[in-house]
Amino acid sequence: MKRAVLGLILTGVVVLTLYPFLNVVARSFSEEQAIQAGKVNLLPRGFNTTTYEVVMSDPVFWTNYRNTVVYTVVATAISIVLTTCFAYVLSKRHLKGRAPLVGIAVFTMFFNGGLIPNYVLVSGLGLRNTIWAVVLPNAISVFNLLVMKAFFEGLPTELEEAAAVDGLGTYGILWRIVLPLSKAVIATMVLFYAVFFWNSWFPAFLYLDDADLFPVTIYLRNLIAGSTGGSDISTPSDTALQIAANIQAVTIVLTALPIMLGYPFIQRYFVSGITLGAVKG
Amino acid sequence: MHQISRRALLGACGAAAAVVLAGCGDDDEPDKGQDYTGRRDGAMDGYGAGQQFTATQPLNFSIMMLSNAGYPYKADWLFFKELTKRTNVTLQATVVPGSDYNQKRSVVVAAGDAPMIIPKTYHPDEEAYIAGGAILPISDHLDLLPNFRDQVAKWNLQSDLDGFRQEDGKFYLLPGLHEDVWADYSLAVRTDVLQQLNLQIPKTWEELRTVLRAMRAAHPDVYPLSDRWSTPPNPGGNNLLSIVGTAYGVQAGWTYQHATWDATAKAFVYTGTTPQYRQMVEYLNSLVTEKLVDPESFTQSDDIAKQKFANGKSFVISCNAQTLVNELRPSIAKIPGATVLKIPTPTGPMGDTKAGTRLEGGVMISAKARDSKNFVALMQFMDWLYYSPQGKLFAKWGVEGTTYTGNVEDGTFKLAADVNWGGLNPSGTKNLQVEYGFLNGVFVYGGTTKLLNSQFPKEELAFQDVMNARKNQPLPPPRPLNAEEREQATLWETTLKDHVNQQTLKFILGQRPLSEWDAYVTELKGKNMTRYVEVVNAAYNRYKKAHG
Repeated sequence: MKRAVLGLILTGVVVLTLYPFLNVVARSFSEEQAIQAGKVNLLPRGFNTTTYEVVMSDPVFWTNYRNTVVYTVVATAISIVLTTCFAYVLSKRHLKGRAPLVGIAVFTMFFNGGLIPNYVLVSGLGLRNTIWAVVLPNAISVFNLLVMKAFFEGLPTELEEAAAVDGLGTYGILWRIVLPLSKAVIATMVLFYAVFFWNSWFPAFLYLDDADLFPVTIYLRNLIAGSTGGSDISTPSDTALQIAANIQAVTIVLTALPIMLGYPFIQRYFVSGITLGAVKG
Repeated sequence: MHQISRRALLGACGAAAAVVLAGCGDDDEPDKGQDYTGRRDGAMDGYGAGQQFTATQPLNFSIMMLSNAGYPYKADWLFFKELTKRTNVTLQATVVPGSDYNQKRSVVVAAGDAPMIIPKTYHPDEEAYIAGGAILPISDHLDLLPNFRDQVAKWNLQSDLDGFRQEDGKFYLLPGLHEDVWADYSLAVRTDVLQQLNLQIPKTWEELRTVLRAMRAAHPDVYPLSDRWSTPPNPGGNNLLSIVGTAYGVQAGWTYQHATWDATAKAFVYTGTTPQYRQMVEYLNSLVTEKLVDPESFTQSDDIAKQKFANGKSFVISCNAQTLVNELRPSIAKIPGATVLKIPTPTGPMGDTKAGTRLEGGVMISAKARDSKNFVALMQFMDWLYYSPQGKLFAKWGVEGTTYTGNVEDGTFKLAADVNWGGLNPSGTKNLQVEYGFLNGVFVYGGTTKLLNSQFPKEELAFQDVMNARKNQPLPPPRPLNAEEREQATLWETTLKDHVNQQTLKFILGQRPLSEWDAYVTELKGKNMTRYVEVVNAAYNRYKKAHG
């Protein structure tokens, strides 16, 4: 009986969380009239793939999709290396100047130079119109840094001391002892960073002036604005109508798909990783 | 070393003074005193109105290029090739996605990194950049823009332009110039329902009431008018308020202006308290009370409003040419015999008039361009591309024989057999914007009514003919605020507008009786309305004294 009630409640929760997503998928495959009339619920009405075809037949879409993959991989790799190094250093209680270093990092959580100074900085460093403008400015997320630091602080110091006695240097300890024990938190960080960079569009928009360098998020964002804004001179055609009707849904499916496919495989680390750093003895 | 730096300082002061003095030229009188020595490289001698501009040497100008999702930027568009062929100018594009163009423009201009040509700027957006000195006061250099001057004189646009002026009497934006006010927004009406009920297309707002009553009588379960375009920050029913307001002589809805010019009192008054505004509110309130207008019109989303129209739950809705063809007509395709038409906006006490501006958002020029040795050539190029009849025709329809044939002036204009745009030539397979880069919003602003009309299908032309026959309502005189006043006024405007919007809606929906109108005016006074109007009138008088 209790199981049945629980099952019922859980089914309800599943329906509630799944419905919006299924609705988006259904809209992305529905024809324009059905969408306009508000008839699309869980299943596509008047199966139609025009918008997918238009979006996916544009070579620029694929160029930009490739850019997104490259930016995400490179940026995540850089972020993980830098965040791990910084967090590991900060986790050492005997480090002189540890408090100011933490302070400097935390300061940036609350204050930043502002849009225009950042632009001038990136511009002045000659990073504009290169991949580095996208992958460097957000390389260390302070929140992630603090989670990692707390995790490292939770590792027993005896382990590291034992390794030192056995002749390992600082980098050896990090590489052979600490990192193998930190897979969970690193997987979590990879997930955090990858999702962040995958969805990120603003730095790319700001620092890149060439459509061939844009990530796919900008491409799709512009497509949505173009099809729903409608302040410019019109191009009425059936295709344009269909695109306007479900471009948002198609966009969501296309950008969320890779993350959805990857998420289940990292999720188990995610669950244990996020709590691991939270409680320390 | 010491001496040199002092001399350099002196030189810099002198140059600064020269710039300042040059800026003191009287209004737009072509300033013959401007010295362009050393800045004429590539410019034509004796360039004049109606003449083809061709730089005397190959030139590069940087431009901020909005990439529209409907026709994403391509460097190899025929537009750019042909432009270089005709003018010897190559445009170097900083490509910006249209979705966030304004934001990037702000950053780039503020960072001092702006390209020379910054199009797609809508007044008063340019005001944000003036204080920083990044934008060229273009009115100082009208002597280099013969076609622009020509059109301002020919179409009598001086008072329109005055609305763009700042406190210093200058304007900083090169606007698109229209020969006439272009009316686009109106109401779409189900004409098959009109026919069934034996009704004519309503010409006035009172006739519309009769029509709505008949519709309601025949379909008691339906609100005949259920409107769209109710998104904040405007009060809701934004287009409805705007077009009803025009009929009563007041700017409301999404065209709301805080100050309205009272020609008899020769002063500005606060719009939300004018008798005209009250009449507009009373009219709409009576429609709601009679259950002719859906009360949800003022709060519902566009999607809901469109669904009601698509499902025959309403017969009248706001539209423009684009939404009529793109959204409304396809949406009722499944209702047997349903037809829809954009009707000329109904008229009211103001008679056969229309309101609006003949200026369209335009182009800013970076202040850095002034020091370029190609400055004069840049101005001549801008004048040719944006204002000469040849330049406008080229930017809009392309190359004769390739993308179009015939002539806009005598009505023989036609797109080439394989070219299509906006359904003008459905058998054409190549899109004029996508494949060739013409009719691009970055380069096409304003023009003659004939040039504008050449882009419309027959149905829209009929609408335009009716609207063009109407007289334009007079424009208010200029009243530019200085930076300090603007900041203060913006703060007041925010709270005033919130209150006007809320109460307008309450009055219309009957949640607040109109007998409380005087109380409402008092409430606005408590929100600095009087001081606001004083500031505006002071600015008006100041400007009048200084600039006539």
